[in-house]
Amino acid sequence: MSGVTLNHVIKKFGETQVIHGVDLDIKDGELCVFVGPSGCGKSTLLRMIAGLEQTSAGTITIGDRDVTTADPADRGVAMVFQSYALYPHMTVAENMGFGLKMNGVPRDVVREKVLEAAKILKLEDYLDRRPKALSGGQRQRVAIGRAIVRGPEVFLFDEPLSNLDAALRVQTRIEIARLHERLGTTMIYVTHDQVEAMTLADKIVVLRGGNIEQIGAPIDLYENPRNMFVAEFIGSPSMNFFNASDLSEAGQTLLKPGSDVFGVRPEHFNVVDQADAILSARPDFVENLGEYALIYCKTDAGSEFIVKSTELQKFAKGELVHLGADADKTYCFDGTTQLRV
Amino acid sequence: MFPTPIQQRSRASQFSYQVFLPIALILWLLPLIAVMIFSIKPDGDFVKGNFWGLPSSFEFFNNYGRVFFASDMPQYLLNSVFITVPTVIGAVALSSMTGFALGVYKFRGNLLIFFMFIAGNFVPFQILMVPVRDLTVNLNLYDTKLGLILFHIAFQTGFCTLFMRNFIRALPYSLIEAARVEGVAEWKIFVYVVLPLMKPAIAALSVLIFTFIWNDYFWAIVLTQGPDAQPVTAGITAFNSQYRAAYHMMSAGSIVAAIPPVFMFFLMQKHFIAGLTLGAVK
Repeated sequence: MSGVTLNHVIKKFGETQVIHGVDLDIKDGELCVFVGPSGCGKSTLLRMIAGLEQTSAGTITIGDRDVTTADPADRGVAMVFQSYALYPHMTVAENMGFGLKMNGVPRDVVREKVLEAAKILKLEDYLDRRPKALSGGQRQRVAIGRAIVRGPEVFLFDEPLSNLDAALRVQTRIEIARLHERLGTTMIYVTHDQVEAMTLADKIVVLRGGNIEQIGAPIDLYENPRNMFVAEFIGSPSMNFFNASDLSEAGQTLLKPGSDVFGVRPEHFNVVDQADAILSARPDFVENLGEYALIYCKTDAGSEFIVKSTELQKFAKGELVHLGADADKTYCFDGTTQLRV
Repeated sequence: MFPTPIQQRSRASQFSYQVFLPIALILWLLPLIAVMIFSIKPDGDFVKGNFWGLPSSFEFFNNYGRVFFASDMPQYLLNSVFITVPTVIGAVALSSMTGFALGVYKFRGNLLIFFMFIAGNFVPFQILMVPVRDLTVNLNLYDTKLGLILFHIAFQTGFCTLFMRNFIRALPYSLIEAARVEGVAEWKIFVYVVLPLMKPAIAALSVLIFTFIWNDYFWAIVLTQGPDAQPVTAGITAFNSQYRAAYHMMSAGSIVAAIPPVFMFFLMQKHFIAGLTLGAVK
């Protein structure tokens, strides 16, 4: 087992640079999630660690070995692909044992390791089936099993849940978390879904446009976003942003000097008296999810935002409602640099 | 549904369908029917000018008996097998490898090499007649099966490579990447991952190439001369004497020569059609 270190890693496709000097230190046994919108370079970065993309500059270290130019096979990594990438002409057992068999591991050792992995993933009953005869969730487990069998130093997951339906996604997510607990191996996990990132990660790396925006524990990113991008990306629904003109006089006193954008998460609003309100708005549309409701509001200055509340009765469509929030749950940003103040 | 099934159309259109379809069919098959009738006529009918009338006597057993037992036809048929089968194996084996290399690896000149393979198909093969004949003579391969086989393999590999490369391109690339991460050597990826997935392409291509090569006439007469090496398509003319054509025997021989590819087609129809449309929809 070993950690992964990226040192000023750069990736160029021809003339276009897509990863701009990433520095990252993933500790041994950590589950690190790369998250970001599509095209942010998170998959490319993962594939560079796997050795499927060449690193244009910088170094990648796994444990204490420099693997920057090593073949994928020599890096001690196992990868789970978004498309599962199961060999369609092999049974589940053959799929899981293929890598070992090709590398000259004796037949009975392969058999043993495959059985062990199958037991962990509850795949014992399916060992003789072809991937075609499995459901999406089962296929995903086989793909994970194939990775486990090799006993790698680092697991790499490339959006492993995005082909599953919602219920199965939650279930498989928990299985991956359990697996990580059980194996204690370093894992790097790529996703565009911030819920997956929040629930799984020891450490989240938020990427945008080939740069790291922020690194931290999930709750750190939620509570202390470094800039507007992270504030908006982490948390669901996203943080609301307001201009000074949207705010009441009380609200404007909360706006720190040097900042002109004010952020409040939908779940941190509460309905208050006009005197204490940081802003006032009119509800426009309601999504009632039972446990809570999402209320789409509009300030008179024209900003649209979302309130997450359990007190639906306090919001009447079109009627002015006064909203407040705890001062420590509000965020101030510099609109031009996008940085938090 | 479009077009409307004929059963649901008006009576008039049903009627015209029932009349014109058989007519079109007979017209289309007329040459074949003529050859079939020729093949059961006695020699005398052709001397007397009875080309299109009914046979004056039924000579089926006589003519076909001569094809099988009193001519070089069995030898020619065997030649055809010995030429066609190695060609199919050689061309498919080579093109699986070239297709893999061109379909999987990114290297400078990949596209150029691929275009050269394709470009070969656009050369009208007749202009190669003299140089290829000279080449085989210089290599001492003129009038041998080997010469014909080598030329066919060389010439078919272009088309086969196009076919195989496009098929391999359509396979999910992540399968190859998954195997690479697992530390599987490249040649093992080819043998154990890609080749098994190419089975449909290999089957389709084999059937196509089999019919191409079996039915080849041009190169058979350019590169070979006698019963030692000539395939059946060229061997049929051996029934002719210097000044006279033996139409009845040539017809019988043609029918016999056509049986293997026709049989192959019906046996492997699924693959044949798959071969023609492979990669067209995906």
